[in-house]
Amino acid sequence: MAPSADPETSPSISTTNSDLQPFFLLHKAASRKPSSKTRRRIDLSPKPSDASAQEYNDNLPFDTFKLLWSNTQSIIKDVLKNLNTTVFDGIDKWVHASFDAIRASRTPDFTTATSMYPIPNNVPIGAQIFTALLFTKNVESVDDISTFADLGAHLRSNGCLVANLTSIDFSAKNGVGGCLKTLLRQFLLAGIDAPEMSILASWYYEQENYDKPLIVIIDDVERCNSSVLNDFILMLREWVIKVPIILVLGVATSVDALRNILCSSACLYLSVCEFNLGTPAERMDAVIETVLLRSCQGFNIGKHVSAFLRNYFLRHDGTLTLFVKALRISTAQQVFSEPLSFVLRKLVNEEGTEGLNGDNNLLREPAIKRALELPSLQRFCETRGNCIDWVSALSELKRLHQLWSSLVMCLYEVGRYRKISLLDLYCEMLKLKPQNFCANDLNLVEKDYATAVHNYQSPGCLQDNGYVGRAFQMLGDFSAMELCKILDRWEMLTRGIAEIHEKVKELQSQMTLEEKQLRHDLRKESKKPTARTYKKDWTSKSTLNEKVASFLQSMFREYIQTIESIPLHEIIFFDNVDNLHTALIGDPRRRIQADLLESRKFLKCSCCSKNDGVLVPSMHHTSIMYTLVQEHGDLVNVHEWFHSFMAVISNPPLQSKKKLRMSPSPKKRKDSKEARTKTDASIQAEFCRAVTELQITGLLRMPTKRRPDYVQRVGFGL
Amino acid sequence: MESNDLEEEEFGFSRNYFLAKELCSSSKKSARKVSDINLVDEQELREAYAKLEFKHEKEINNLVNSYQKSYAEWVFMLRCGFGLLMYGFGSKKVLIEDFASTALTDYSVVVINGYLQSVNLKQVTVTLAELLMEQLKTQRKLDNHPKNQQPLNTQSMDELISFLDGPHLEGGDSFVCVVVNNIDGPALRDSESQQYLARLAACSHILMVASTDHVNAPLLWNKKMVHTEFNWYWYHVPTYAPYKVEGIFFPPILAHSGSAQTVKTASIVLQSLTPNAQKVFKVVADHQLANPDGEGMPLNNLYTVCRERFLVSSQITLNAHLTEFKDHELVKTRRNSDGEDCLYIPLTSDALQKLVHEINQ
Repeated sequence: MAPSADPETSPSISTTNSDLQPFFLLHKAASRKPSSKTRRRIDLSPKPSDASAQEYNDNLPFDTFKLLWSNTQSIIKDVLKNLNTTVFDGIDKWVHASFDAIRASRTPDFTTATSMYPIPNNVPIGAQIFTALLFTKNVESVDDISTFADLGAHLRSNGCLVANLTSIDFSAKNGVGGCLKTLLRQFLLAGIDAPEMSILASWYYEQENYDKPLIVIIDDVERCNSSVLNDFILMLREWVIKVPIILVLGVATSVDALRNILCSSACLYLSVCEFNLGTPAERMDAVIETVLLRSCQGFNIGKHVSAFLRNYFLRHDGTLTLFVKALRISTAQQVFSEPLSFVLRKLVNEEGTEGLNGDNNLLREPAIKRALELPSLQRFCETRGNCIDWVSALSELKRLHQLWSSLVMCLYEVGRYRKISLLDLYCEMLKLKPQNFCANDLNLVEKDYATAVHNYQSPGCLQDNGYVGRAFQMLGDFSAMELCKILDRWEMLTRGIAEIHEKVKELQSQMTLEEKQLRHDLRKESKKPTARTYKKDWTSKSTLNEKVASFLQSMFREYIQTIESIPLHEIIFFDNVDNLHTALIGDPRRRIQADLLESRKFLKCSCCSKNDGVLVPSMHHTSIMYTLVQEHGDLVNVHEWFHSFMAVISNPPLQSKKKLRMSPSPKKRKDSKEARTKTDASIQAEFCRAVTELQITGLLRMPTKRRPDYVQRVGFGL
Repeated sequence: MESNDLEEEEFGFSRNYFLAKELCSSSKKSARKVSDINLVDEQELREAYAKLEFKHEKEINNLVNSYQKSYAEWVFMLRCGFGLLMYGFGSKKVLIEDFASTALTDYSVVVINGYLQSVNLKQVTVTLAELLMEQLKTQRKLDNHPKNQQPLNTQSMDELISFLDGPHLEGGDSFVCVVVNNIDGPALRDSESQQYLARLAACSHILMVASTDHVNAPLLWNKKMVHTEFNWYWYHVPTYAPYKVEGIFFPPILAHSGSAQTVKTASIVLQSLTPNAQKVFKVVADHQLANPDGEGMPLNNLYTVCRERFLVSSQITLNAHLTEFKDHELVKTRRNSDGEDCLYIPLTSDALQKLVHEINQ
């Protein structure tokens, strides 16, 4: 089946020797030269139909991906780290305080310290193991893997000795020896066959380690085997004087979890202090803010993809990990399928857009051809035709994108006060059309507001104008203090964007002026409070709010354009939601059933595709069998199934039936009878093979001793 | 992906389920038996089974060949750090091995046949480490490794994995590609194997391409494995090719409830086992051939004989072999008159002789 393979030849499906080997070496790496022929053939650029596509540099898409993704990845890493800094600092302080407390109360004298055994008899009754409970607020531990690794690194950098354990180390199979082994490997940096606490103790006293706190972090304490964890804690308690370990336990649920896992005596040995991490939604917002809005580094996701990811996050998955992976797949797909994607590098690179118009890659025929096709680039085509002003297109793109992002951030600052998440706002902003920005639409009427609130309560529904409209309406409800704070934030967010920044400053100064005026008036009339004062207070406040609201509206009207009007949006916004969905989630359950029920679609054979929806003998047998299964309940009688299968496949096509009827000679009848007995075996064999294939796909359960004549269905409908 | 559609889908699924349940309870349960089918002789059935042709050969070939245009994309995704997971109806063995041998010539490729019972991941990892070591040596990038290192096959799994997860050195990447046929196959279905595979896939020097056939395959993995270790990129590639090798160990449903072992399947199972396991089996077989009328070989005798011949070192290893035999119905137990557990092979003497002859080859 090499590229030149003749479609007539069958693939080699005979059972060869290698098929029965558990594993084998297919081939060794060919001698590698960067410009070897094979490499060129593999790294075809995405449009193989275009002969000149070969001229692209082979590694260009891959290098683009590497650059884009390493950039995004490091941004995400930094965001998550910064998000946790305060919690980490708190834990660090607590660790050092606890360590000082330990040192102050119990220091073993030299002889006991160097003996081989713990000092169980001398353990003071009140001595406890200092334990930090870190609430992850997330049942999915996958998001917190990096958090705990970061915590370990943070504590290490502050002079602690740290070991990171997970629930896998606390399995019943390996017992307490297993986790001790991991512990020793991480602390001593050497594998030890017979793990013992005394090894750890002597290591702790031998070297300069003595003055450092010993920390053991366990990622997901709820998943640990409870008896192993109990033993581990009891063991630590015995050694509490010689090896003063401090525990940091990741807890997904609540403080009760510990009581459920540990026995009461082990619980008593722990002196607990609690810390809290941010929620997944907070992290998500932080990532969106920095990756998609702040960095303006080029790659972005379009409205369909963002809506899909939002729904998936809120309804199904709830992890940031999936979102990050989706970003990664999107980047890869975009870079691979879009020949112009290397332009994105110019947005990330520090070299900027200089020399772009003369870039070799851009002067090539396919690149120009593709660029001329993009509707968003029409404005930048020079009159002579085959030339595009890349520099101004890119700078226009940067300018518009920056304006767009900063205004979304400004709106988010408002929405934050009523807990509107950036994820919701971002998805909705991508969907907005310019006509939505007129004042009437943004100030929602009462009814719309009610539905918006309703939507907010049931996450997962995205409605036009829901969150954006609500954020605008909120501006009317803020107090002067809150407005001031918002304006301060806006001032920070819009720095570097001349168009908006000046106006925000103007508004700020107006604000302070009016506030002063207001205070002055208030002082004047404070002696005789009347209804009029209140009224005046109220009206001045509302005028302030109106001013801010109308300012934001005008900014939106003026600077926010639809995504489609941003130059190069085809390259920057990835929006192929179907491709992303299949690559990310797969869905074998549905797809494999669909394969079986719609085999004609894929095989495209001339024999079966004519009779649509009718079972014909020429169809794939497993496909016939599975279609027949659909007529049964959850149990399928094998006998009946076999007969209906036989009826389908031995049903002769109409033409041959006619022929039979026309020549009823006894000889022929005999022949057909013979043929019939011949096919009995083969029909049964066909039946067996189809059942085996369905068994491999897991769509059937085989007959058991209790129900020997039935198979059980597993899949139900698409 | 509109929300209404999603709800409709979920509703549709549950509706189908309950309709099927109802259909089952309301209609009278058909009492017709499998044995009522005019079954042909088992030998004949197996012969016919072996001779079966498959339909639409041309269309299947066209379909499989049509995936060749995607090879470039697959290689790209593999280089971007994803693991490729091929799913869809039909055997994908030919397809992914062809992909590996035409498009992945830059890397050494090791194929694991997950449909076999006897995959030993430790051995696989040792092979992978050896390949990588060789590759690094030829690229002369191994200067910082001590020369008189422990041989790879005596190192522990953790050490091997940390070697495979070593940093990439400057001037080109070294990868070893692992192709796993049926990553959801019987030998790999336990969580420990999947954990090891996931850790392997996460190594910086390893690229992974795998195929899966079972509709519930995703249940094998947790989110950490799927998104951070395997880092799957799903490809839907139905081939409709027959599951010839994959289905070899499934007894045909119409073959007398699959209890009678034939020499053919028994020898295939035995050949996929380790040499020691084969020898243990031969001890039982020899005993049975020597005492054709006996009740079988007492367990204690078997242990003594195997120990004497250095086939097993403890009762535990012997039990491991026996469990494997029993799972494949190669060996059964019964009590003899003294109350001892005896092992016997459910085959006639002729068949057994033939089997012993085949595994001796």
